[in-house]
Amino acid sequence: MDLAEKLEILADSAKYDVACTSSGVERPGRAGRLGSCRAPGICHSFTPDGRCVSLLKVLLSNVCSYDCSYCVNRRSNDRPRASFTPRELAELTIGFYRRNYIEGLFLSSAVAGSPDATMERMIEALRILRQEYRFNGYIHAKTIPGADPLLVEQLGLLADRLSVNIELPSEASLVRLAPDKGRTAILRPMGQIARRSAHSRQELTVYRHAKAFAPAGQSTQMIIGATPESDRQILRLTEALYQKYALKRVFYSAYLPVVQDPRLPALTTRPPLLREHRLYQADWLLRYYHFSAEELLSDEQPNFDPYLDPKCSWALNHPEYFPVEVNTAPGPMLLRVPGIGPKSARRILAARRGQHLGLAELKRIGVVLKRAQYFITCGGRALTRSTRREIAGALVDPKAFGVGVQQLSLDDFCAKPLPDAAPALHRLAASGVEARQAAELTRQEAITWITRRM
Amino acid sequence: MDYPAYVTDTAYRYDGSFQGFLCCVFESFARHELPAAIHPPEEGQTSLFGAREIPTDPRRAGRVAAALHRLGTPVERCVTSGFLADEAGKDLTLLHFLRLCFAQGPSAFWRMGDAPVAQAQALARRVDGEAGKYIEFLRFEEHGGMLGSIIHPRNRILPLLRGHFCSRLPDEEFVIFDATHGMALLCRGGRVQYLRMERFAPPPDGEEDAWKRLWQRFFHALTIEERRNERCQRTHAPKRYWQDMCEMAPEGRGQKSTTHPAEDMV
Repeated sequence: MDLAEKLEILADSAKYDVACTSSGVERPGRAGRLGSCRAPGICHSFTPDGRCVSLLKVLLSNVCSYDCSYCVNRRSNDRPRASFTPRELAELTIGFYRRNYIEGLFLSSAVAGSPDATMERMIEALRILRQEYRFNGYIHAKTIPGADPLLVEQLGLLADRLSVNIELPSEASLVRLAPDKGRTAILRPMGQIARRSAHSRQELTVYRHAKAFAPAGQSTQMIIGATPESDRQILRLTEALYQKYALKRVFYSAYLPVVQDPRLPALTTRPPLLREHRLYQADWLLRYYHFSAEELLSDEQPNFDPYLDPKCSWALNHPEYFPVEVNTAPGPMLLRVPGIGPKSARRILAARRGQHLGLAELKRIGVVLKRAQYFITCGGRALTRSTRREIAGALVDPKAFGVGVQQLSLDDFCAKPLPDAAPALHRLAASGVEARQAAELTRQEAITWITRRM
Repeated sequence: MDYPAYVTDTAYRYDGSFQGFLCCVFESFARHELPAAIHPPEEGQTSLFGAREIPTDPRRAGRVAAALHRLGTPVERCVTSGFLADEAGKDLTLLHFLRLCFAQGPSAFWRMGDAPVAQAQALARRVDGEAGKYIEFLRFEEHGGMLGSIIHPRNRILPLLRGHFCSRLPDEEFVIFDATHGMALLCRGGRVQYLRMERFAPPPDGEEDAWKRLWQRFFHALTIEERRNERCQRTHAPKRYWQDMCEMAPEGRGQKSTTHPAEDMV
């Protein structure tokens, strides 16, 4: 089997892994080494599914001895298998990196034999890269659940970011679908990485040449929609992971049915892309907007509204906080206004130190007023007068009603609901209503419903 | 401090260099006037306004540069980035911004509600944004141990690419050719040069094509068909960059069928 074929098989096996970020560590280049890292991360390409390609995301091997039912690479699935030798992988990484195709390596592996043996091969590949090729770029490595803590330690000294996949949002689901992976096997390395990473940061402040352990922190991912957990449970778990294990990111992956199994959703189920999107929006609210999971979802409303983004939904439930006066409101309150993000808030805070902000100034600053105008005042004056229905029309998320032509074959010019449109729209379109008409119907219904809520 | 100025109907014409632009700024302050337009040599030969040639004087430019430096890093960065834009009227935008900054001090940068500040920052953001995209999307090819790349940017972004690539590839020799403006950035043995170049066409190379095909194959293997969302792809990687990205090339899209001769036989 030649290298190209191996690459194709192993990239295809790794593509369902979500994390492909290269952020979190700033490391300038050095003479005698190849590469550098930028803290915000760099994407090098975007595939037709709109996801970024930042790292060479491959498995070292997809020959797996586990049988997790949600996974394409499980033992009982009939598909081509391949493995890289550590040296092949290192050469490939360097070749791609020099040509500015990638930002570094994302290395994961199926459990080939035992977790320890797999980890040793991964460490060997990273060692060749770091020591023989003097590679100074980004490396994200995935620890294998159940591997020896000493191996995790070694891996962390070579990689920038480590991740342990939590896979499913509750222990019950894990026992049901991934019998080979236990809860402790996942959480123990996560705790170890968090402690060791904090310790290493402390050491680095004292000794300049102390070895950095996973300087870009750790991340995790879980599958959404394969099991019956509510958004509230998922978001609370996310919050706990951020607080307890100091994770940098939690990734969600909408479940794509890959196998017929009575324990899993049917093969015809659509991946819940809109739900995944809402969870990511909420995840951003946790990390950058000072929201807590309890504020966003409650027992009465355990799932996100498909037609409103979580922040709008929160704002509609809490009219007592609004309107917000842009010239005097504290920063955290500005961040709670739908349509104002960290960038706009920062600019408003800086600009209002030197001038009074009116509507024209806000526009020049670059604040997007489509939704924000209903929640703010400038010098005590409201920006618009509108009916509730108009406001609801401006607040609904157009993504939920996306219709477009996506050519999968040459003679395919028929408009269809986009994959990340609301499930209700997909159902309506499937029942025979023309796509654009269905989108308009769903939209009107959503607006009526939101108007009633206000 | 207040600097009164009269709005005039004179246009300034200068040699297109940054020093020349700083001399225009000097002229504007020295004569207490706001020109109606500022033209670099490549544009505005026909103009409604009477033009005045502004000679480039390194001594005057040095004085303005020192004053610009005193206005602080954000203002300096905004002006130097904005100057790299390839848009008509950018010089006048920057002059208005600079006059405001000199009148009000470094904090004028943050008064983004004022039109001149907002316009200058938007200008600089467009240039920085494009440079950022090319840091992501430019592709090198190796020819005889040297890396080469051809890009088609709207603005003259080569100086903004220098820091990143020199830091990233400290031991490599590379050349980045800006085909739109006929300029090249050459980094060799730790020294950087900007060259005027008409064209840059390295000979085709078998090994290089193999690397490209490998990358294209990886790129196609990564796509998840069930999540197909081309609008999202175009948002992040607008089509005008595709000509410089080898994986987006149309022949690359049909690659899958051509690189599988073995499969066809089975």
